Amino acid sequence: MKKKTLKATLFSLVIGLLMLVSACGATEKATSGGTDSKEKQKLRVVTDAAYAPMESMDGDKIVGFDVDVLDAVLKEAGYDYELVHVGWDPLFVELKSKRADIGISSITIDEDRKQTYDFSVPYFESINKILVPEDSGIQSGADLKGKTIAVQNGTTGQAVAEGILGKNNKDIKKFENNVLAIMELLKGGADAVVADNAVVEEYVKNNPNKKLKVVTDSSFPSEFYGMMLPKGSKIKEDIDKAIKKVVENGTYANMYKKVFGSEPDLKELEKQY
Amino acid sequence: MDFRFDLIADYLPLFLRGTLITIEVSVLGILFGTILGLFIGLGKMTKKKYIRLPFVWYINFFRGTPLFLQILLVHFGVIPAFINDTNAFIALVTALSLNSAAYIAEIFRAGIQSIDRGQMEAARSLGMNHKQAMRNVILPQAFKRMIPPLGNEFVVLIKDSSLGAIIAAPELMYWGRAMQGQYYRPWEPYLTTALIYLILTLTLSYVLEYVERKVKTE
Repeated sequence: MKKKTLKATLFSLVIGLLMLVSACGATEKATSGGTDSKEKQKLRVVTDAAYAPMESMDGDKIVGFDVDVLDAVLKEAGYDYELVHVGWDPLFVELKSKRADIGISSITIDEDRKQTYDFSVPYFESINKILVPEDSGIQSGADLKGKTIAVQNGTTGQAVAEGILGKNNKDIKKFENNVLAIMELLKGGADAVVADNAVVEEYVKNNPNKKLKVVTDSSFPSEFYGMMLPKGSKIKEDIDKAIKKVVENGTYANMYKKVFGSEPDLKELEKQY
Repeated sequence: MDFRFDLIADYLPLFLRGTLITIEVSVLGILFGTILGLFIGLGKMTKKKYIRLPFVWYINFFRGTPLFLQILLVHFGVIPAFINDTNAFIALVTALSLNSAAYIAEIFRAGIQSIDRGQMEAARSLGMNHKQAMRNVILPQAFKRMIPPLGNEFVVLIKDSSLGAIIAAPELMYWGRAMQGQYYRPWEPYLTTALIYLILTLTLSYVLEYVERKVKTE
């Protein structure tokens, strides 16, 4: 009796795993087969709309600077598109399995990511900044040594924190998103949050009563956001051309002024082309 | 499908550390959840309505709201109110205990009430008082019936501890997501963590099966 149940369990386990593996293979095949006829098809664009002012939900609509850029660029390139909020981690899964054509979500172009994905030319310059309580003594990245840092999982803010404290240090707390990381800071569970300037500055601007300030460390490297594409994407050339065009003809500067209230530094951006 | 075992090997120490935390929070959650659940189950069975009411609402609240939310509320609201700091480990154990207590209370009540009324009457007519009848006649029989649903609850609790990743409790799922965030490869961390959870829950299932066989009477 006992042997029989053990055997049955093992058998169903093996069947289950086989089904899982074959399902993974099947979906990959099906989608890559469909890419040939993608030219006239609507592009599927995925984002994680929880990163104001770059992208956020306004009711059931996705708005933000990234969305403005996306719209201008795809119009310029002559593509139809559908923008879907899928969340940060699923975004990468969808692009990897080629279920989506573009990911745009303030994604920093970096060498690690380039191994698995393609990127457009950069469309935005960003720098990580440190968010701390107003009465904090932290004045630079070096002051973060020995402190607890909250970050959003998988972001370059995490990479900066790891550069200071070491990889997978237990004093780096990785959260689902920046809002939770900032909550942790406000509740005393962390001494600082490291995140993109657009996010921390927007937070301080919107929450003056929380008594937080932004610390700039000029030694943190500049980063550039790009649109993320599946490896070997056929639309890369069109997108690149359209981004350069939108930056050149002044559309980009106009959109930038509308959202951030200042002139963009286009020289740094164009140096990357 | 390219599957990079070298990345998993890289992360294995962290997965094991996470597994240890998962086991710790699960065991503590089961322990406190059972003690608290026993107490709440008894509370819900008292005859006086105004004593019963808080217990009824405790169960209503913890069964009626998502554990996901309860974890966030405990982490950012309850724990900081006590220790003026956040502590993901304590918050996760607390949330899991409070949540499972609500379910265990009901399992307890159902177990006791499933015993035929005649058992109590028979025990009382043999000269036992209520307490003795409860301890020597009703509870041993009820306990046997409670093992399968309790086992169910424990298995669910182990899996639910993965929600601790949301508050950065460094359990197994947290490291799975950290690995996903680092390499941007979904299958290696997700399948590895799935396998570890499966090992944990299967082990527990076998232990419970063993206990069930041990207390079998016929």
